[in-house]
Formats: sequence, C-alpha cells, structure tokens
Amino acid sequence: MERKYTILAILLIVLALGLVVLPKKKELKEVEPKVLLASIVEKSRYLSVDLVTHRIIENDPTLLLIDLRPAELFKLFALPGAVNIQPDSLLSAMTLELMNQPGKDKVLLANSDLISEKAWLIATRNSINRVYIMKGGMNEWFNTIIREKPVNSAASLTDLDLISFRKAAKQFFVGVEETAKTPENQKVIEKVKLIRKAPEASSGGGC
Amino acid sequence: MIGPIISSGIVSPAWDNVFAVILGMGFGFALESSGFSSSRKIIGTFFGYDFVVLKVFFTAAIVASLGLLYLNYLGLVDFSQLYIQPTFLTSAIVGGIIMGIGFSMGGFCPGTSMCAAAIGKIDGMVFLGGMFIGVFIFSESFPLLENMYYSGSQGSKMINSAFGISPELFSLFLVLAAVGMFFGAAWVQKKVKKVEY
Repeated sequence: MERKYTILAILLIVLALGLVVLPKKKELKEVEPKVLLASIVEKSRYLSVDLVTHRIIENDPTLLLIDLRPAELFKLFALPGAVNIQPDSLLSAMTLELMNQPGKDKVLLANSDLISEKAWLIATRNSINRVYIMKGGMNEWFNTIIREKPVNSAASLTDLDLISFRKAAKQFFVGVEETAKTPENQKVIEKVKLIRKAPEASSGGGC
Repeated sequence: MIGPIISSGIVSPAWDNVFAVILGMGFGFALESSGFSSSRKIIGTFFGYDFVVLKVFFTAAIVASLGLLYLNYLGLVDFSQLYIQPTFLTSAIVGGIIMGIGFSMGGFCPGTSMCAAAIGKIDGMVFLGGMFIGVFIFSESFPLLENMYYSGSQGSKMINSAFGISPELFSLFLVLAAVGMFFGAAWVQKKVKKVEY
C-alpha cells in the first residue's frame, strides 16, 4: 500500500483510539429546574389526534405510541403499534430503554390528558427527549375519528378536507363494511378491523 | 433531510428537498469521480482485481462514524435527533441476497446505475430499467409479501448495543477492520492478474 494511505490509516486508528480514551462526558441525569419549567410552559408537547392518526396511517417509523391506560382497556382496543405501559412502571429499566430509543417520537396517551401529563413530566425530568402527548387522549380520539360529527353547511374547504380525512381514517381503523353497517351514535369500539396500508418508499440510504 | 439541522429547527423543513438535491448531486459526483459508473470496476471486487468499491464505502463509513462521535462529544450534534432506520431482520436478509445477486450480475447498485445512465452508458440504462420493473413488481405484490416484510422487527437498533459495547469502542473495531481490509485488499490485488479496462 502507498505511503500516504498508510499515514491516513494510522491517523484514523489514532482518532478512533482518541474516542475510546477521552474522558466520558458527565451526562446530567435530570433536567435542570429552569429547563423543565420552560418545557412545561411550551405547549409543543401536544400533538392533535388528527396528526397522530395521520402518522399511524402513514406507518411513520419514528412514531412510538405509549398507551398508559389499564391493561384491560388496552386489550379491548388499542391504536396500531401502541405499547401498553403502566404509569407505575415508567421508571423501570425496560421502559427507560424503550423511551430512550434514538430517533423515535414517544407519544403518550391515556383516556384523557391527566395521566399523560404526569408521565410526560417524569419522562422529561429524566432527560428523555422527543416525548409528546396526544391531546385529549383516547376519549378525544374516539370522539374525533370514530364518531362522525354532522357537517356544518358553512364549513370552509379546510374543514371539509379535515372531515374527509377523518372519514377515511375511520375506514382505515374500523373497515369499510363495519362503517357502513354501524348506525350513527353506536359504539364501534369492540369491532375493530385493522387494514394496513402499504408503506410509502422511505428515504433509505445506500449506494 | 431528517436531522439534525431541520429537526432541531435551525433550518426550515421547506429546505428539505433543496438539501436532498444538493446532497444527491454531491453523492453522484463522488460516485462518478471514483469511477463507480463502470460496471467492470465494481465487479472487480468479486473477481479480486479492483477493490475501490470496498475501499470507498468502508472509508465513508469510518469517517462518518468517527465524525459523528466527535461532533457528539463536542456537543455539536445531538445523537437523539438522528433518524435511525428501523431493522426488519427477515426482509433485510432476503433483500440483501436479492441486492447481492443483482449487484454481481449487473455490476451496478441503484446509485451507480444512475451515474452510468447519466453519462450515457447503455448497460446503466438497462440496469435502471430493470430496477424500476423490480420496484413495480414489488409494489404490486406487496400484499403477498407484507408479512415477510414486517417480520423480525428489531426497532431502531444500534449495532454496538446489540454487542453490548460503547459506540466509541465499536468504532475502534470498525476502523481496525477497515484498515485490515485495506491492506488485505492490496495484498490480494497484487496476487491477482491485472485486468485492463
């Protein structure tokens, strides 16, 4: 091998060795109170049910749904891909490993926002990044996506688009036949037919 | 362009496609200037007369790996903001075998075939056409392949965590493996009859 390549190879080995012997950074385990306060005031932790639904349908690989409801309710119905975690095991090693997955948006959901807020606070305090709350929880999700609301005659184009999206989303979660059969105002919680949509081509790397 | 510049809010997501085009052009330029638009150069890896493909990609991997780790150490890149492609073991193995067969038969991979087609090479254009036919067949038969496609899900897994070692130590092993491969390839190349093309 040429001399210049040998020198470059030695340089790379030295650089790699440098990384191993460098003193480890002292990572703060808990967020500073000021940072935590700023995060609490900032409302960007809330994701609307429409946005979360859209990401589920799109099969977004960065989405990690964490369902904080009791196991019985979770068994009855859960959003596709959701993981059931009980609030009292939020700080267990397994949960922390799950929550610390790089590149994932952790979206907390419960029946309402109450438990999600507490879980969000604990996770944020523990320096877990990219933690969000599905605003309104599962109650809001059912009321928005599954239960159709009457269309207002004065609805704008944006509103009509949103209503169309919700109708399509309902079919995605409940199925076309089930939607047609189900009379209005009747609960469709227990009859869930999941139809997966083929994922779009992701922006992978490679040559 | 998933991160960290856009995801951390430094640059608006509206620049996403602009970055993609600029990076794509840079990548294409690097491939072309390394001679990757020649299928005979690429296939040389399998016959032992030219290891430039292995050297270029291994160099890219170790430079990127060391660069990211140093930037993270200096606090210039936040690891948690990086997107890591989720691993689906079965489809990765099956896809890898298909890709390997296509690579050795055609002498191109998707990116290099585009480079070759862009400079008017007919074999590159044929490969590119075949690739689109493959994409079409895959898309149309997706419902049949869906179970296999999603099986063996490992999440966004890092190889160092699978081995239970730190990313820094894994990078050292990777650099040592790469350097060993560079010397090994030079030795093999000396033993194999030189091919002119």
